[in-house]
This record gives sequence, C-alpha cells and structure tokens, in this order.
Amino acid sequence: MMTTGVWHPIALSVSIEPGSSAGTHVGGRELVVWRDNSGVAHVWEDRCPHRGMKLSFGFVRGDHIACLYHGWQYDTAGQCRYIPAHPDLKVPRSITVATYRTAEASGMIWAAIESAESAAPALPEDAGEVVPIRSVYVDVGADALLAAIEATPPRPFGGTERSVAAKLQRVGAKLHSLAAGADTLLLGLQSLSDNRTALHVVVAGPASSYVDKGQAHFLAWTAELRHRLDAQSAGSNHITEAA
Amino acid sequence: MAEIVLYNYELDESCYKVRLALSMLGLKWSAIAVNAFPGNEPTTPPFLAMNPLGNLPILKDGDLTLYGAEAIVAHLARAHDPSGKWLPTGGTDFAKVMQWLVFSTGELSVTIAARQNALFDAPGDQRALRMSSSKMLRIMDDHMIARGFEGDDWFAAGHATIADIALFPAFALSRDFGIDHDEYAALRRWARRFRTLPGFTTMPGIPDYH
Repeated sequence: MMTTGVWHPIALSVSIEPGSSAGTHVGGRELVVWRDNSGVAHVWEDRCPHRGMKLSFGFVRGDHIACLYHGWQYDTAGQCRYIPAHPDLKVPRSITVATYRTAEASGMIWAAIESAESAAPALPEDAGEVVPIRSVYVDVGADALLAAIEATPPRPFGGTERSVAAKLQRVGAKLHSLAAGADTLLLGLQSLSDNRTALHVVVAGPASSYVDKGQAHFLAWTAELRHRLDAQSAGSNHITEAA
Repeated sequence: MAEIVLYNYELDESCYKVRLALSMLGLKWSAIAVNAFPGNEPTTPPFLAMNPLGNLPILKDGDLTLYGAEAIVAHLARAHDPSGKWLPTGGTDFAKVMQWLVFSTGELSVTIAARQNALFDAPGDQRALRMSSSKMLRIMDDHMIARGFEGDDWFAAGHATIADIALFPAFALSRDFGIDHDEYAALRRWARRFRTLPGFTTMPGIPDYH
C-alpha cells in the first residue's frame, strides 16, 4: 500500500491536558488539538461545520468537544451528536468535522494530515521515557531553525563546556535528535507556515534525571536559541525596510 | 464593616480585576455603573475629583477613596483577607507579588492599549500594539514554564495571590485584540487552574465554559 504524507508533531503531550483544547497550524492549515477526559488526543480541522467557528475556541465535555458559538457537540469520531437549539433532533450523519489520524510518541502529539486513513505512513518511533522541556515558536522556516540549532548547541546538563560534539541528526521526517554530551534532546519540527515554525523539545531519559534542574537547564538553551533567531529576524526586517 | 462601592464599567478589564478580587475574597460590595464608553464619564469633573487620571476603577471603602486596579486589589487583600494568602508578607513571596504587580501596571498595560484600540477605537498602531503585547505574554508564559518545572502552579507563591488576579485578564481577553492562546501552553494551563478558584467570575469576552 502506498503511503502519503508524513506525521507532523502538533504539540507536546503535556501541553494538552485532559478536557482541554488548543488551536494550531500546519502549513497554514488550521487545526484543533484536544484531549478527551479519558486522555485520548484528537487532531481535527479547526472549523465547526455549522458556522465555521474555530472549535479551538470551544470546550471539552467528557468525550465531546463543543463549539463556543452555538454549542454543537461532536464525538471523538468527529460526528455531531447534539445541537442545543434542537435538543430532540436526531442529528444527521452528514454533520461531521474532518478528523486526522493522531498518535502520541516521544512526548509529542502527532497527526497525519495529508493522508487518508488507509494510507497513513508508519507511526513515528517512540523514544521511550522522555521529559518535556517546552515548545518554542520562531519567525523562520524549518531549515533556518535547524541551522540556528547547529550554531547554538546546548551544553550537556551538569557540564560547563559547550559540547563540540553536539550532533544534530534527522531521525524522522519531522523529528531530529540532538546529542549534547551524554544527553539527547528530541526536536519535533512543526511548520506552522512558510516562515513560522514550532520546535517541540523533550529530553530522552528518566524523570529522575531531568525533572526540575535538567528541565531548567534545557529551557535556558531554548531561550538562547530563540534570542538568536529573534535577533536574526529583527535584522532581516531592518534590511527589508531599509531597501 | 464599612460599605465597599466600586465605580464599574463591565467591559473594562481593570474593573474586572477588582470584581475578581472582591468575589474571590468573598466580600459584600455594590457597584455603580459608569458610562465609560461612549460617554467618557470618568473624565468629567465629579469623577476627576475622585481620580484625576480620568479612568476606572475607583473604589470607596468606608472613608477611603482609591484608584488604580492593582492598588485597589492590594488594599482589599491587606484589609479584608485574614488568611494573608492573597498578599503574602513573608519570605520572598511579597517581593515576587510586587514584581508581578509592577509588571502588570507597567509593561503589560500595552495589552490594555491594544484592547482599547481594537474594541473602542482608541488611537494606536494596531500591529505594533499586538507585537508588544505578544512579547509580554511570552514573558509570562516563559515564567510559568519554569514555575511548572518547580511544581508550582501560580505566578508568585505556592498558592494564588493578587499577582495572578492582576495578570489574568490580559491573557484571558487576548483574543479581543487578535492574539490567540495557541502558543502559550503554560498560560493556558495556569488559566485553567485560575478558573477553578472559589469566587471566579467571567466578563464579556471570557467564556463561562472550560
């Protein structure tokens, strides 16, 4: 069977709590990511079929997500189940939201948004135990972001020397590993649009090694990386305006 | 207890800070509705006599007349919260609360300008106001990510304080001036916790759900 598309990292798993939702983008496409109360994550088109309202503005109740506008409720398959203005109506099967195949691996929520259900690519490999750091949002494309990461390698946690051997490796279509001494960061790249990218950062390893101090260590690295990229985009804006 | 009266405009986020504090502290109070928009009533002489800055909120608590949302909220906590938790005075908690209150009245006030511009046609460069506002929300999000690593859910202490009350409206109302919550995961988490506090109330622009 031919597969199409790739798995896109959409959020850190910890960022979408049970019973909550958030909006996001891939390549300019609007998505809602939400987690039902049983803990299962869902990635859908961010649009209520009723009036086009963003579902990410809505709210989660049990295993339904409800539109903020008129309260239409959808089940985990994207099927509309309840219309408050017509409480006795058996909702037509045709009222559905586009849903995407969703998976969780390596501390991130992934979605296959380009492919039909039957043609989704193989699931992203799970890295085992990971500790979340954060998602960073920057005004550059994925390639420029990767170049900045190579130019600003993290120091190993506990070490003082910037690791000369810091090594960036592609391990999946949208996943890179970054070794710094004995530490390995996993970096999920989400292209929000052509010139805006989200970087989802986790560190591979047990909670006992990294929770709190180790997390703070790599959080500081993400701040340094973002600072570098902010300065770059401020510089390029300046040039554009001067020209 | 002396009577507490709030000069209030329902759509004003600074009045909302005071309404939140009054409600979360469980106080008895009454409101006088002020025509801030489009009437501009706070800039008329009777109001200027109470607050020369010509804005809301203004609070009367017995003989005291006070303006400035953060000052009012601090007064309410100091005078009417016997637990001392909302405005802690011990350790480093007091200093941290003060830092975020000053941030709220200072740099974060750009979010008020952005919202006034978007909703009430106040002058300003919409794009610049939005960019500055997102920078301030990012500072708040960064802080709450770090707090999360330490196992803390709140801005300044191990429990909610008036710093959280002062900071909540800017984030909760950010869609009013075109900033989505998408990229602020730590603030989304914090806001969800904040909404479960006893006495929490909403205002127009902040849905009752979640």
